Amino acid sequence: MTIHRITPSHRGVSTPKLLVSRDCGPAGCEVDWLTSRRFDAEDDIEAFTTFSLEQGWGDGLPLIPPTDARVRTFLSANDRYPDELIARMPDSSECTVEKIVINAVMAGAPAASLELIIAAIAAISEPDFELYGVNATTASVYPGFIVNGPVRDALDIPYGYGCAGGVATRANAIGRAIRLILRNVAGQVAGVSSQTTFGSPGRTAGLLMGEWEEKSPWAPLAERRAGIAGNAVTAFSTMGTMNILDTTSTGAMAFLEMIGKSVSYAGANCYSPAMEFSEMTIGINPICADLVAREVPRLEDVQEIIWKHARVSADWLQGLHRGQLEDQGRVRGDGYVYATPEPKDLVLFVCGGLGGLHALGLHSFGSALAQTKSIATAVPAAGAVAAA
Amino acid sequence: MASIKILDPTAKRMDDNASPGPDAGELAGKRVGFRLDQIWRCWDLISENWAQKFETAGATVTYWRSTNRSGEEGEDQARSLEAWLKTVDIVVSGLANCGSCTGWTIRDAIAAANSGVPTVAVATKNFEEFAHELAARGGRSGLRVHVLPYPLNELSREEVEPVAEAYFDGLLGVMGASLTAREQAA
Repeated sequence: MTIHRITPSHRGVSTPKLLVSRDCGPAGCEVDWLTSRRFDAEDDIEAFTTFSLEQGWGDGLPLIPPTDARVRTFLSANDRYPDELIARMPDSSECTVEKIVINAVMAGAPAASLELIIAAIAAISEPDFELYGVNATTASVYPGFIVNGPVRDALDIPYGYGCAGGVATRANAIGRAIRLILRNVAGQVAGVSSQTTFGSPGRTAGLLMGEWEEKSPWAPLAERRAGIAGNAVTAFSTMGTMNILDTTSTGAMAFLEMIGKSVSYAGANCYSPAMEFSEMTIGINPICADLVAREVPRLEDVQEIIWKHARVSADWLQGLHRGQLEDQGRVRGDGYVYATPEPKDLVLFVCGGLGGLHALGLHSFGSALAQTKSIATAVPAAGAVAAA
Repeated sequence: MASIKILDPTAKRMDDNASPGPDAGELAGKRVGFRLDQIWRCWDLISENWAQKFETAGATVTYWRSTNRSGEEGEDQARSLEAWLKTVDIVVSGLANCGSCTGWTIRDAIAAANSGVPTVAVATKNFEEFAHELAARGGRSGLRVHVLPYPLNELSREEVEPVAEAYFDGLLGVMGASLTAREQAA
C-alpha cells in the first residue's frame, strides 16, 4: 500500500450558459427578465426577517428585502445577465446570477462584490472541492476564501489585524451573502441537508479574508497556485479557526516546528479514516513570515519544514484507529502518520496583524481540495447605474 | 404597513423520480453487490454476514469500496463505480452512518437505481430522515432505505452479529426480494 497523493482530477464544471435575453441588457429592458417567484411581504426589515425564517431562507440576522428594484439596481452596477448559470450545486440546483444577486441583496453585500461572489461560487462548485460532502457532513466544515489582488482594498477585505473575524467592514456582508447562497441554493442547512454536529460561527458570517501580499516575502497565493496575477479568490474548506501561539521561539526552524506540531492532533480530520488525504491551510503573520524568509527564502522549503513536524506517531493512536490508517497505507516507514500526503498540500499564505506572535490553523475537511479562480472585472453598461 | 413584492432566493431541482425501482425478486442466480466504505467497521461485519445468507440462497456476491471522491482518485472512483454497476443485478449500498457518508451512500445508490438495478440504501436510525432528504434532493425520492439501529459502529463484533441476523429479513422486505421454498429451507 502506498501513500495516496493528491492530484487534481480532470473533471471540470460544465455549466451551459443559458442566455435568453442577450438583446436586452441590464441598462434597460421592458421585459421582466427576473424569473424568480414573487412573494408578498411587509415593507419592514424586522417583519421580513421573521418572514424569511418562516420560509426557511434566513440565518436569523436582519435581512434586506430583495425587491425587484434592489435586485435590478445591483445587477445594473455589473455586466451580468440574471439568467446566466454560474454553477450546478450538489443536488443539481441551478445557481444563476439572479439567485446570487437576490441573496447578496438580502445580506447587504455591495454591488461591486458580485464578481468576487461569482468566482467564489464557481470555485466551490468544482468537483474537486467536493461540496457535496462538505454540505452533508457531521463536521463543522465550511468554505473559507482568501482573496488576492487590488480587489481586497476596493472591497475592504481584511488581511491585517483581525482578518479572520471581527473587523468592521462590509466584507462581512459579502461573506454572509456566500453563506446565504450555500443555504438557499447549495443546500447547507443544519439538521436538514447538513448533519453538522456543532456547526461553526463561520457558517453564519463566512470566512472571507485577503492575503497581505505587500508584506509577504513570497508570491501571492493565487499566483503560486494557479498562475493568476491580480484579482483572484482561493476557496478552501476549514473546520474553523485554530490559534497557534508562539512567544518563545527564536529563528525560523523553531517557529515552523511549533506551527507543524500545533496543527497536528489526533482528532483532526486529516487523520480521519474516512478519507485517505487532506490538505491544510495555514496563515502566517507578516512578522513571522519575514523572520522565516530570512532563513528559509523558498516557500517550498517552508512547507517541507512544517510538514515534517505535522504528524502523529502511529504508536500513540488507539489500536482500532491505527489499524484503519495502516490499512490505507498511511503509516510510513518512520512510524508516523503525516497530516498531508506531501509538503505541497500545505496551503500557506500571509495575513494578520503586526503584533505577530500567532499563526492561524485552518484544518481541511479532507476530500475538499482548495480551488483558485480569477475574479472578473465588471464593466457596467453605460448609464445603467444613473438610470437605476 | 405597506406590502411589497420580494424575490425568492432559493433554487431547487425540479425533477423527481418517486419510484422505488424494480423489486429484487428471487435471489438464486443473481449477482448481489455490496457498496462498502472504509470507515464503518460495523458495515463490513454486517455485509459479510448478509453476504453469506445471499450466497446460501444461491446468489453470488461482489463488493465495491468507496474511498476518495476528489482529485484523480475521485475520478477513478466514479469510473470504477460505473463499471461495477454493470456487473451486478442487485445493489445494497451503505452505510449511511454520518453526514458525508450518508451523502455518498445515497448518491451511489441513486446512481445504481438510475441504472435500473434493484437498489436499497442502508442507513442507521439517526440518519434515516437525512437519507430520505438526500434521496429527494438527488431526484430519487422513492429510493428504498433499510434502517439499522443507532449507535452501531460503537459496538463490538459480538454485539454487531445479532444485529445483522435480526435485520436481514427486513432487508429482504425492503428490497422486494423473495426466497424460494428451497432457499427458505436453507
